[in-house]
Amino acid sequence: MKKRIFETLWPGDADVRRAKILTAMIIVQVLCATFFLIDVVLDFDAGGHPTHLALETFVAVVLCLGIWVLMIELRALLVRMEQARQGLRVARGELAQVIDSFFDRWGLTSAERDVGLLILKGFDNENIARIRGRAVGTVRAQSASIYAKAGVDGRAQLISVFFEELLANDPPTGDARQAASL
Amino acid sequence: MMSDMPGLNLAEGGRDSARLVRVWDPLVRVIHWSVLLGVLLNAVITDPEGDLHEIVGYAILGLVVLRLVWGFLGVQTARFTAFPPNPRAALAHAGEILRGDRSVHLSHNPLGALMAYNIWATLIVICISGIMMGTVRFFGVEWVEELHELAFNWLMVSVVLHVGGVVLDQRRTGVALVKAMITGIKNIPDGISTK
Ligand code: HEM
Repeated sequence: MKKRIFETLWPGDADVRRAKILTAMIIVQVLCATFFLIDVVLDFDAGGHPTHLALETFVAVVLCLGIWVLMIELRALLVRMEQARQGLRVARGELAQVIDSFFDRWGLTSAERDVGLLILKGFDNENIARIRGRAVGTVRAQSASIYAKAGVDGRAQLISVFFEELLANDPPTGDARQAASL
Repeated sequence: MMSDMPGLNLAEGGRDSARLVRVWDPLVRVIHWSVLLGVLLNAVITDPEGDLHEIVGYAILGLVVLRLVWGFLGVQTARFTAFPPNPRAALAHAGEILRGDRSVHLSHNPLGALMAYNIWATLIVICISGIMMGTVRFFGVEWVEELHELAFNWLMVSVVLHVGGVVLDQRRTGVALVKAMITGIKNIPDGISTK
């Protein structure tokens, strides 16, 4: 529940949000630690009480350790985000290759390849016609031809051909799956 | 050298468009613009004798030290190993610029790297001499005050050169450096190699 409120206030990718929060916490704590440490130095210079100085130093050191941990955490998060993006990209590249190879195998004409891609991207015939500046009837004929060449009986089956191919293969890296679910 | 960098090609399907590479992490960016804000405040607005001037100075020192620690602990492009201080490489880079080479460095280029180290050192000198001026031991000591002012003047010279360098490099390579320092992402124009 708490999380949901937070997400409404601050939408976006959870990891990006986490990185921002960590960064903000690091900055704020560094400012606190700096003020403490400088205060120790100035108190020492002014001949402050030893126990007070020791306590202040202790607090400053603990703060610094906390900052250290946050920095390691932020670094790990940024590296993980980068890997996830990398994996997603690989997955995307693979998918494009898979699509190309199927289109090749089915012997689609270049117009049919374009229409096929738009179908896979989820456009309906009316929209494809508009995008390509063709009559809806033309697009309908082209999609029928694609389905025939692919040996499927419609849009849903065409899409499932590619899904099956992707699921049959191992994902390129473990991160790809994770990235896809982000 | 940078080939193992986790660079990032964000280009959405457009193989012919410019490549987008994630270069600056949020910590580097926040520190940069906060330090700029702090320097502006203390150079222009705050009363040099006042508490606010001191507090802003402390904050700048903390931020610079944080950036230096991040130079060891941080992610690839933020690390000192990505832009080692190397005067010879800086000279070679200047030569490359004159010869019209347009390759792009994902982290700082060797000249920019020297400037970054120079600015950090100068900021630390300013902050520490400033703190010393407030201590019993060094209060009113002349060389400390002179050092503070001298270092500040040197910082102003450096920042002018720094911003000039950024603008020139932006023209030379077509990479929007300032935007990269804000969004973290460099646009590498087509056909330009990276280092
Ligand atoms: C008081 C003023 C300034 C100071 C002290 C300063 C300091 C620095 C430092 C230390 C770096 C290295 C960053 C790092 O690795 O963490 C840097 C980089 C940078 N600064 Fe500044 N800066 C100042 C003003 C500006 C201004 C006004 C601009 C915008 C025009 C600017 C644009 C940049 C850019 C684009 C970079 C990255 C350069 C690259 O891509 O290699 N800076 N600055």
